Amino acid sequence: MTTFENAASETRVSWWQQTFALLAKDLKAELRTKVAISAVGVFTFASLLLLGLATAVLKEVPTIKLLGLSYPATLDQLLGKQQPAWDSPSKLGMLWVLFCFAAFAGLAHSFVHEEETNTVTALRLSMSAGAVYTGKLLFNLIVLLVIMLVVTPVYIAMTGMKIGSPFVFLAVMLSGGVCLAATATIIAALAAKAQGTGALYGALGLPLLLVFLLLLMNAAGTVYVENAPTLRIVKDVGGLFSFGVLIISMSAMLFHFVWEE
Amino acid sequence: MHASELETTEYGGASDNRMNSSAQPDLSIRLEQVGHRFGTRKVFSGIDLEVAAGQVCTVTGPNGSGKSTLLRIVAGLLAPSEGTVSVKANGQVRSADARRDFLGYVSPDLTLYKELSAAENLQFFGRLRGITLTRDDLIERLTQVGLRGRGRDLVGTYSSGMRQRLKYAFALLANPPILLLDEPTANLDVSGIAIVETIVAAQKSRAGGGLTIIATNEPRELEWGDMTVRVDAEA
Repeated sequence: MTTFENAASETRVSWWQQTFALLAKDLKAELRTKVAISAVGVFTFASLLLLGLATAVLKEVPTIKLLGLSYPATLDQLLGKQQPAWDSPSKLGMLWVLFCFAAFAGLAHSFVHEEETNTVTALRLSMSAGAVYTGKLLFNLIVLLVIMLVVTPVYIAMTGMKIGSPFVFLAVMLSGGVCLAATATIIAALAAKAQGTGALYGALGLPLLLVFLLLLMNAAGTVYVENAPTLRIVKDVGGLFSFGVLIISMSAMLFHFVWEE
Repeated sequence: MHASELETTEYGGASDNRMNSSAQPDLSIRLEQVGHRFGTRKVFSGIDLEVAAGQVCTVTGPNGSGKSTLLRIVAGLLAPSEGTVSVKANGQVRSADARRDFLGYVSPDLTLYKELSAAENLQFFGRLRGITLTRDDLIERLTQVGLRGRGRDLVGTYSSGMRQRLKYAFALLANPPILLLDEPTANLDVSGIAIVETIVAAQKSRAGGGLTIIATNEPRELEWGDMTVRVDAEA
């Protein structure tokens, strides 16, 4: 039997080393169990299927633009015989509504699982609150980006959504992803600590989600503006990205109080 | 009082019987008028306690009296509703966060990752503490708790006794000078109990002196203590 002659080391491990250790552990566990990916993936593809069926009759119809307003371009449309148009900004909005629900359905797992299985005690004994938050945020961001990477092309193929300006589209998708992952992560931590799951998660997330969706819709509109002024792109997409930065900053400052009992 | 004497102090109300000991200045735990409540329910109050290096303190009391809660408070996992907890390690008083670097904790409410193997669990928690475990290190640590040859098995496939053994490997990862053991031999067989006994003895005799607090009602484990604190639930 080994005796313990050495005192505990006072060497503090940097938060980023702890962050990447936690991220690597979560990814390894996720690849093994596929709980979060399954929850988000199944929800997303089920929603895609339903959306595809529900909107099969909706077609984009030509319009005439006059004095900044759109007018029906066909007699059938004018007489209401043709289904209303489902334009690309609406499609992009719907895609994000889908991502929001998928994120809230699956990303809570990272924290709720730790609480439910009591592994949270071992984590609290071994690492700082800041590193836990950053590790979980990065894990959620990676899961969300993977889902977005798979789902977006399928969605575009299904609905025929145009991507407008590719640069602005990419900026909106990335900024939106950061915002959504940040919001989902802190709300998941709150819900897990409150011993709640799905219902509480949604209720807690609603105020943050509303602001996020408003900013997103604003930025989504810019994607489809031809030759949008740089100032508008910076204002709209930057606003969305800034909200993500704000949520991450506030969460990093407040997470200690959520994490510690 | 000397550490070798068996002392028993009862708490529950606001009694004030502080344990004095031959405290070494660089490692000690001191509780002053510590109490805790969950919502409106008061669990215990007025606990004064001082444990120093080289001592083993046992905490006993009926179910629900707050033994585990007291250990969580000492570990810095739970803030006391009243009173102060002062943990001195390497000569400095440590905050609740910092004291966790100096203690090993074994408890029924501690669980390791079932989806990882025992070796992966130890490597992960070692990495969080800045410890890189080689294959030989892992074998040594698993052998120490009687799990040699089972390191690659997922913890989810372990029996409750094996999980309890793995908790000791986790608790001893950083060679902590303080050990907090809640129901230390729960689910363990005879050889497992012997391992725990050896760990407690080794902790007591380690260079500079280790410190152990054990929450238990087992008569055999109570005998390991140099002092006993009895906690009774508040009416």
